[in-house]
Amino acid sequence: MVEPMIKVRGLHKYFGPLHVIKGVDLDVMPSEVVVIIGPSGAGKSTFLRCLNFLEEPSAGTVEIDGVEIQAGEPGREHRRHIREIRQKAGMVFQQFNLFPHKTALGNIIEAPITVKKMPREEAIVKAEELLEWVGLLEKRDEYPSRLSGGQQQRVAIARALAMEPKIMLFDEPTSALDPELIGEVVEVMERLAGEGMTMVVVTHEIHFARDVADRAILMDEGVWAEMGPPDEFFTNPQEERTKQFLAHIL
Amino acid sequence: MSKLNDPTLRSHSREMRLLCLLIAFTSGLSLLYGIQYYAGGPLRLAVTNEVRDLALSPDGNLVAAGTRDGVIRLWDIAHNWTMHILTGHTGSVTGVAFAPSGATLFSAGHDGKVRLWDIPTALNAGSTGSQLTQEWDAGGVPLNDLALASDGTTLATIGEDGIIRVWDTKTGQVIQSIGPNESTKLAVALNPDGTLVAAGDGENIQIWDARTGEPFQRLEGYWEDEEAQEDWLGHEKKVTALAFSPDGVYLASGSAEGTTLIWDMKQGQLAWDTKGHLGAVSEVVFDASGQYLLSSGRDNMVRRWRVPGGKFAGIFKGHLGSVTGVAAGPDADTILSGGTDGSVRLWETINNRELHLVWTKLGLMPIWGTVFAAWMLGSGLLGILLAWGLWHVRTWGHLGALVLYVVGPLFTVVLPLLETTFYPITWSTRLSIGWPLAVSLVWYIALVVYLRQDTVAITYQAPGATSLAEQLMAARRAQNIRHGLFVAATWLLIFILLFSILRRFGLDVAFMRKWLPFIMGGAGVTMYVSAMAILLATILALIGALGRLSKNPLTNGISGFYVSLIRGTPLLVQIFIWFLALPQIGITLEAKTAGILALGVNYGAYMTEIFRAGIQAIGIGQYEAAQALGMTPGQTFRRIVMPQAFRIVIPPIGNEFIAMMKDSAMVSIITVQELTFRAQKIGRQNFRNLETFLIAAAFYWVLTIVFQFFQGKLETHMARGERR
Repeated sequence: MVEPMIKVRGLHKYFGPLHVIKGVDLDVMPSEVVVIIGPSGAGKSTFLRCLNFLEEPSAGTVEIDGVEIQAGEPGREHRRHIREIRQKAGMVFQQFNLFPHKTALGNIIEAPITVKKMPREEAIVKAEELLEWVGLLEKRDEYPSRLSGGQQQRVAIARALAMEPKIMLFDEPTSALDPELIGEVVEVMERLAGEGMTMVVVTHEIHFARDVADRAILMDEGVWAEMGPPDEFFTNPQEERTKQFLAHIL
Repeated sequence: MSKLNDPTLRSHSREMRLLCLLIAFTSGLSLLYGIQYYAGGPLRLAVTNEVRDLALSPDGNLVAAGTRDGVIRLWDIAHNWTMHILTGHTGSVTGVAFAPSGATLFSAGHDGKVRLWDIPTALNAGSTGSQLTQEWDAGGVPLNDLALASDGTTLATIGEDGIIRVWDTKTGQVIQSIGPNESTKLAVALNPDGTLVAAGDGENIQIWDARTGEPFQRLEGYWEDEEAQEDWLGHEKKVTALAFSPDGVYLASGSAEGTTLIWDMKQGQLAWDTKGHLGAVSEVVFDASGQYLLSSGRDNMVRRWRVPGGKFAGIFKGHLGSVTGVAAGPDADTILSGGTDGSVRLWETINNRELHLVWTKLGLMPIWGTVFAAWMLGSGLLGILLAWGLWHVRTWGHLGALVLYVVGPLFTVVLPLLETTFYPITWSTRLSIGWPLAVSLVWYIALVVYLRQDTVAITYQAPGATSLAEQLMAARRAQNIRHGLFVAATWLLIFILLFSILRRFGLDVAFMRKWLPFIMGGAGVTMYVSAMAILLATILALIGALGRLSKNPLTNGISGFYVSLIRGTPLLVQIFIWFLALPQIGITLEAKTAGILALGVNYGAYMTEIFRAGIQAIGIGQYEAAQALGMTPGQTFRRIVMPQAFRIVIPPIGNEFIAMMKDSAMVSIITVQELTFRAQKIGRQNFRNLETFLIAAAFYWVLTIVFQFFQGKLETHMARGERR
């Protein structure tokens, strides 16, 4: 039987007295694309950031590709596990977060060289392949400030892929983009899904969710309000909360 | 806008035709002046005549001055300094001497002639007899100096050919010819009875028997410490002036490096050495009693020395150029001097006061006449070219004319005009010699004001432009260049004004030139101290900033304490603590080390805060992106945060570096021999603090300008990721 790529059990997150995530479970199978939607403040981004421990969960366990971490166990071993998980999980941010002092190529080769100790020449060859894959090879020597938002986000995706992750986490990757630039990023994400990448995507792009996702989740007030295949989820939601939300955004 | 597109304005508008006409007119006049000047024409800026040698008649009533235009001027002191003129020489008159009777004046000049003049005839204006009584030919070789024995029987000259000629004054025959002596042909001296003749031989002095021409004696310097070759007693450069004392016991010599030496003729040894002049010594002479030696120098000064002992006995300042001739005055306590500024001055030795001043001719220093003529010729030629360019609507014609008439007159007209304010003459006299300068200055100002007018300037901004956008761009560019030009001219004007004002108050340029190498010798230490302190400060600041940002109470506390303590106490106090207080607890530091530590630790504290702010300015997203890629906190800091923080802190850190370079002057108080220390030392020793500190200030200024330039380059380089 196939083991889930991501296994989350009883995840809680508090910000001070604020209970943001209230004990959620999730299994994501290899090559599965899961889309999480929901109103702002529902905890979507926090959940995603808990997966690679950019936010330390308050309780619960996260297991990615066989590496399991129990929340709240500080120590050397814990930190080592976190770095292992982070190398397995690429992340794409809403604000791109490219390194402004490095060129597109420099952004991509940075982590393979420093973290994976990959030889520079090898990293460059790989980075050029990735740039070509996202359609930006001609921008290899441009600094981020000279790229459009869509181009920056595509470089950011390439940068995450350079670490050869097992899963990709997308945190509202198109929210900061001008409407006419969203398409080029979504297209790259679709191709990535088509190549069998395991993806967890927090997004408001309903089209992407409907066309590409294997499963859609509505998150509200720190819990899953509804979870199901997109066909059913979008056309025939079971929960009242989902209906309201979809009515709001469609 | 519409003006730009108007073709009639773009070529041959009324303004433009007028401008071309104005510039052509100006150039034509300038050329005329220049050409006639170099052809020896009559129109020339009033310049004074350089005095080359000076003599006082035995009765003390007449002063004779040989001048550069070949005229000997005689002033009758008793008759209110009435001037008489003796003409005959065709080149500079380099030597004059009165016969003991006072009835004859001997002169030698660059025309290679020795001439004898009858003084009574010269003084009697109504006399028809010839003033010139005899003319002796020295072979047409320019003569550089003349010496007459006290008894008047023998005369010696030295020429450009290096040959010393000894003449019998009765017969006018050369009785002995010595040389050629190639190494020094500047000065010659005869002892009182005319039996010995002395001339320089490089930095040594050779004495011959005047009758036989046989070498008699050689005077040479020596090392006081023979083995170590230290403390040279003697001249270091060639001998430029010589004189025997009235009793023939001593020989005085002056040299190109400014020393005057007194030699004992009996022992053939150096008796006393004196160092005073900052430039070459032009003449030395004993007064009638033989008690004092007088020397004149290229540093515009006359100095007086007591003969037994060679002690300094007075300095006489006032000449505006090199002093070329000096003589004992008509009274025991007076001195006469003449110089390249064309003045002859009588001084009182008791108060070092100027008693009387006469001009050979009223005018500017001769150099200004030359500069003005060169400017007229050069600007005339250039102006014609520019007028051609303007006629053909070329932008370079307009900008070139601006540069020419804005910058050129600063040096050729404004500077000489300012110089006349030094001259001890009345305003009406000033105007009478400087009027050509004043008129041309007013003309140039009017020309520039006209050139600056938009209606004129706009015509030239874009002759070749085809579109309005191109025209506007070209107009903007030309405007920027014009603006820059006027800013630069303003700077130049300020420099010239400052320089003139400082000179008016006695800024001693010769002194600055002399001590510049020594003071600048401290620049190395200054830069070393600054560089080491900057290095130390940067390291401390980096560590300090990490400490300030750390959550660990120990490191946070230490760095907080460091910053608070250092920023809360004066740098001066810190410097004293490092150097003077630490020895008390057993830590003795070398001055330079203490200075570097004090500066480095002090600036480290200030830079800590800058580094901290720079690091804090990096957004959280950068940390998250790096972490999400699996980078460790160390890698994140080194590879992602530091490079970005560094770029942010370059401007403020650069300012700190510049401030530190200047504050490095403070370590001079703990005896570090850097630039400021040396400036202070020399300034105090010589009471010339203005000169020495001006040098120091200029150095710091230039250093910071250079540093700012490189800082700008670095900023542009580092900001390449941010450019849009």
